[in-house]
Order: sequence, then structure tokens, then C-alpha cells
Amino acid sequence: MLEIKDLNYWYTNKEDALYNDVNLTFEAGRLYAILGSSGSGKTTFLSLIAGLDVPKKGDVVYDGKSIRKIGMTQYRNRCVSIVFQSYNLLPYMSALENIVSAMEITHSKQKDRRAYALAMLEKVGITKELALKNVQHLSGGQQQRVAIVRAMCCDAQLVVADEPTGNLDEQNSREIILLFKRLAHEQQKCVIVITHEKDIAKECDTILQLKNKTFQLVK
Amino acid sequence: MNFIKRAYKSTKVKMGRTVLLTLVFSAILIFILAGLIIQNASLKAIENASKSTGATVTLSTNIRNAFDRSDNSESDSEEGRPDPGSFQISPVELAIAEELASMDNVASYNYISSTSANAESFDAITSTDESSSENSNSMPGGRMAGMLLGDVTISGTSATDTLSAFTDGTNKLIEGVGLTDEDIDTNNVVIETNLAEANDLSVGDTIEVTSTSDEESTIELTIVGIYESSATVDSRMMQMSTLNPANTIYASYKVANTLKGEDYENTVDSVVYTLEDPGQLQQFVQDAEAAGLDTDAYMLQTNDQMYQQMLQPLENVGDFAEKIVLLVSVAGVVILSLIVILMVRERKHEIGVLLSLGEKRSKVISQFFVEMLIVLIVAIGIAGVSGKYVGNVIGEQLLAQETSTTSEVAAMDGNGPGGAAAFGGRPQGGGGGFQSFRNFGASSSEVATQIKDLDITISLEELVKLGGFGLGIAFISIIIASIGVMRMQPKKILIS
Repeated sequence: MLEIKDLNYWYTNKEDALYNDVNLTFEAGRLYAILGSSGSGKTTFLSLIAGLDVPKKGDVVYDGKSIRKIGMTQYRNRCVSIVFQSYNLLPYMSALENIVSAMEITHSKQKDRRAYALAMLEKVGITKELALKNVQHLSGGQQQRVAIVRAMCCDAQLVVADEPTGNLDEQNSREIILLFKRLAHEQQKCVIVITHEKDIAKECDTILQLKNKTFQLVK
Repeated sequence: MNFIKRAYKSTKVKMGRTVLLTLVFSAILIFILAGLIIQNASLKAIENASKSTGATVTLSTNIRNAFDRSDNSESDSEEGRPDPGSFQISPVELAIAEELASMDNVASYNYISSTSANAESFDAITSTDESSSENSNSMPGGRMAGMLLGDVTISGTSATDTLSAFTDGTNKLIEGVGLTDEDIDTNNVVIETNLAEANDLSVGDTIEVTSTSDEESTIELTIVGIYESSATVDSRMMQMSTLNPANTIYASYKVANTLKGEDYENTVDSVVYTLEDPGQLQQFVQDAEAAGLDTDAYMLQTNDQMYQQMLQPLENVGDFAEKIVLLVSVAGVVILSLIVILMVRERKHEIGVLLSLGEKRSKVISQFFVEMLIVLIVAIGIAGVSGKYVGNVIGEQLLAQETSTTSEVAAMDGNGPGGAAAFGGRPQGGGGGFQSFRNFGASSSEVATQIKDLDITISLEELVKLGGFGLGIAFISIIIASIGVMRMQPKKILIS
């Protein structure tokens, strides 16, 4: 589904490149974890596969097509959903409106978007009452669930998450990672989770460790 | 259309920001609307002024050329200098006057033919001067520059209501009726109230006057109206009874011609044409010359002083209003751009989220534009309600200031109404040389007519214009602010 070909990236000097000629393949229906210490370039990698940045060298290929050719905006709109550590929900909307709005932006094929979003929220423990509240009135765990449901409801086959449990307690973290598992296994999506928490990584199907500018397969 | 929903939602939820933007936008639009309505009101006032004041063109004998002809003919004589008593001024032929009256743009015309006559069946008003008791006690007339002066002035006209002395309020009809076209072939007259009281005359009575050139020629006149005059003249002039305003008798120009003698049949001293559009004064003169008017024998003098005096403050107010609109619009763009730039910075995170979802930048900018449109609609409503009052206050103050300045300048220049005309200049339908002479000394304020109020009303046209200005300001502000949006990178915003 997603191929990383000869990926190179640096900020200022080529000599200080974060990665050198990285080649990876990600498949649908699997949950991936990318482990790495702070400053190793995990988040930069996410920005590259999420279409938020472009590689200095090499390419990111989605379903056999370079994301440059697809167009970064189009790629973000149709192919990938991003879940951020800080949730990144629209603050002036309710949970439900956030999801429906995202479905509209990404041209979701769901006919009754509102009902679908409510049903999905219900599945992650967000009641209708909570769904209609402004997102700023929800807890961190609830907001992260809303952000995940937003990713689930959009038709993108690739879901990338940047430290999705970083702001959550252990209980909430476990629930979130279970959600990602369901997303990968039940909806046959390719889910890539960037994390520095080994416990979270253990729950994933594949673990890649970013070390010394290369990705090593741990699991 | 999703961005419209987002815009509505954002505007509704972020009420504090919306109210602030609405207040700022309203303030800008109020001043723009005030400028627009003042501008429009001044244009309307100019239009009305042109209708109400009109402008006049006076056809008369070309005196300068008459002098020149006189000089040339006398230079061949033995003495080589002209005889002062031989100077002749030919009157205007009625046929020529009628030809010009039939031209386009002529709203009305008045034939003027004045002369002096002796009171026969009544006594003219005389004045006394205490400082020169003996000589000036009674000066019924006399001989001046080869012209015999009688006791009274017969001011011949074709209608009294269009004479400047009546239109500017110097003379007021207090009894009976004025003279109209229907009185041209009659001996009907309008006399001054003092003359009437002194001789116990009233409407319906008859009086007799005699020609100064032919004592045998006596005409019986029927009084159809009595007027009151507020004209003042110099005390020395008052000593000549014919120049006393109370001794002016308004009659048909044909009556004046009869008293002048047979040579004056089918002639007039001058004709005052009042035009429908004061802006067409010069065109009228050109058309008259093109129609074959002999400019050596006759001259056309334009007079739109009243119109110009009314026009100047209005034009100044209009210009100022235009500048208000322009300045406030520019200031509005600057202020709103700064606010929107700050708003964009504040909403950077939201923009990042939208961009990460794959929303097009153009739609993000459109969302801000729609938000501004919602604010604009409310602001137009507020401006529409309060703009009239602000416009009224500013407009009145501006006009008062401009009118006062113009009056002062006019007074200093001696160009005030009544100034040039009074001083022997061509009359504004006044009644020839005698009338002009009598206006000498009349202050400009006596005849000044100025617009003191502007009709400040808000029409649909102004609201549409205001909407256009608001839309333009909102559009430019958003375009300026959107430069920041175009440069935003979601990665930098969302992943720190």
C-alpha cells in the first residue's frame, strides 16, 4: 500500500541527514509501530508519509503512485488520515461536527454522515450527549477518541498517528491502541503509530525502530 | 459548501470576536455611508439649486460698440472730438428678442423697457435732506446727461413675478395682482404702497402720467396691484424723486415704449432670459450667435452668480464627502487587514488542522471571507440605522462652514448677489438702469439665497453602494491577510 523508496531527509545540511536511503513497505490491515528516542526523526518521518512535507531525496509511493504526482493536498484529502498527539480538533465545533466536517472535506462516501459518525463515536464510548458538546468540554482521552473516530470515518486507507497516547493515562492509552488495532484489523486499514512507549509498541503487529538514521525491524 | 457552514459556526461560537469585528466594520461603514449620503445630498441640492435659481442671460445693446461707433464718426469732424449730447443707444428690436426666446432651454423671458414720466393726477414721493435744505427739498426730476428725468420711473416689463426685485424679496406684492403676459396690451400697473398711501390710491383706481419728452402724451394707468419695497438707496439719490424706490411704477413694457415715443415701438431696453439649466449658459450664448445675432449691435451677458454662490459650498461639501469616503475606505482596508491578519495568526492552529485534512487553501480563505460577509451584513444594518444621523451632523456642520466661508469671500470680492448687478451691471431682470441704480447700496445679505440644509436621506442606491464598498474592503482585507495563509505549512503548525 505504502512504499518508501530511497528516502533521504535533512533540515539544513545534507551531512546531518535524518535518514539515508530508507526503503520500507507498509501493508493494509496491519498496525505498525515506529519506535525511537526523542530527536531521532520519528515525527519528521510521519510528516513525510502523511504528505505534510516532501523528501529531499527519494519518494513516498501510495498504491504505486508517487504522492508528489497525486498532489500533497489531494493525498492528504483522499489517502491519509492523521491523528496528532494534541488531537487537533476544531475548537469551535462539537465532537460530532468535527467528524462530519472532516467527512465533508474528505468527500466521504457515507450517505448519512451524521448517523455514521454518531455510531462510530458510540463504539468508542462517546455518547450522543458527549458528541454534541463542544470538544473543549471533553477530557483528553475523549478528545483523542474523537480524533481517532475522525480518522476512521474518513475513507482514507492509511492512518498515521503521532504519539497518540502521549497525553493520556495508562488506561486511556490501552483503549486507544485497541482502537487502532480494530481499525487495522476490522477496517483493513494500514495504521502507522509513531511512539516512544515500548508498551504501546508491543501491541502492534510490526515494530520498526529508528536508530542511527535507519529503520530496524524489531518485530 | 462546507466552508460556509464552518464560517457560520465559527461566527456564531466566537461571539466576542464577531462582535468586535462587527463594531469595527460598522464604524467604518457608518463614515462611508455618511460620506456617500452627504455626497448624494449635495448633488441633489446642486440639482435643485439649478432648478430653483436658474440662470439668466440678458440681451441688450452693445454699449461699448455704440461708444466706439460714436467715436469713429466724430473723429472725421472738424473739432476731432465727439459731442457728448449726440450719443445714441439703439434699443433691442422685439423680433430679435422673440427669436432668442424661442430657443431651447429658455424657461422664461422678460422684456424690460424703462423710462421716466411725470406724475399728472397724483404726487410723486419726495424726500428732504436736512443737511442741504434749500436745494434738495424737492427735486422732481431734472436733466441728466441729455435725458429728461420725470417724477416717477415707469419700469416696463412683461411679467413682474420674474423680476429679480420680486424674486429676491426686495419687493413684495401686498395687494391685488402682479403683471403677467396678459397685461402686455393693457395699461395696468403695480405701484408702491407709500405712493398709494400718499395719494390715497387703491387697487382699481386710475392714475395719469405724462411723457417727459412729449408733454401732450398722457396715459391713464389702472392700478391692479400694490407692492411694498424694502430697497434702500443713497440719500443723495433719494433727492431725485424718480430714483426713489417708492416712485417706481411697474407697467407693461409697451406702456414704457409709448411714453418714450414712436421710435421705441416694437423695441425693448433689454430682455432677460431665464434658462432651465444654468450649466447651459455659454451654450445659449453660442447658439444665439450661431443663429445670427449681431454681436456688434447687441450683447449677451450671462448671470449665474446666485447659482454659483449656491453651488460653491455644495461642491466643496461634495468634494469633502468624496474624500471622506476615500480616506475611510483606505483606513478601513488597513484596519480590517490588521485585524484579519491577527485573526489568522490566532487561528493558525485551525488552519493547520484544515490543511492537514486536505482542505484547499482557497476554501480556507473563502471561509474567512464568508465570516467577513456575515459581519458585513450586520454592519450594513447598523450603519444604515445610524449613518443617517452621523451624516446629518457632519453634513450640516460642513455646509454651515462652507456657506459662511463662501459668503465672506463673496462679500470681500464684492461678488455677492446684488453686488455686481446693483452697481450698474446688467440687471437680473431688475428693470433697466433706474432699477440697477436703486439697488446701489443694497447689502449682499439682503438678496443672498443660500442652501442651509442638506436633504440627508438613505436610499437603496446608497445602501447598495455601501455594500459594494464593504464588500471591496472585506475582499481586499482578506486578500492581504491570506498571504499569511498561503505561506502556512501544516507541518510547522501541527507538529512542533
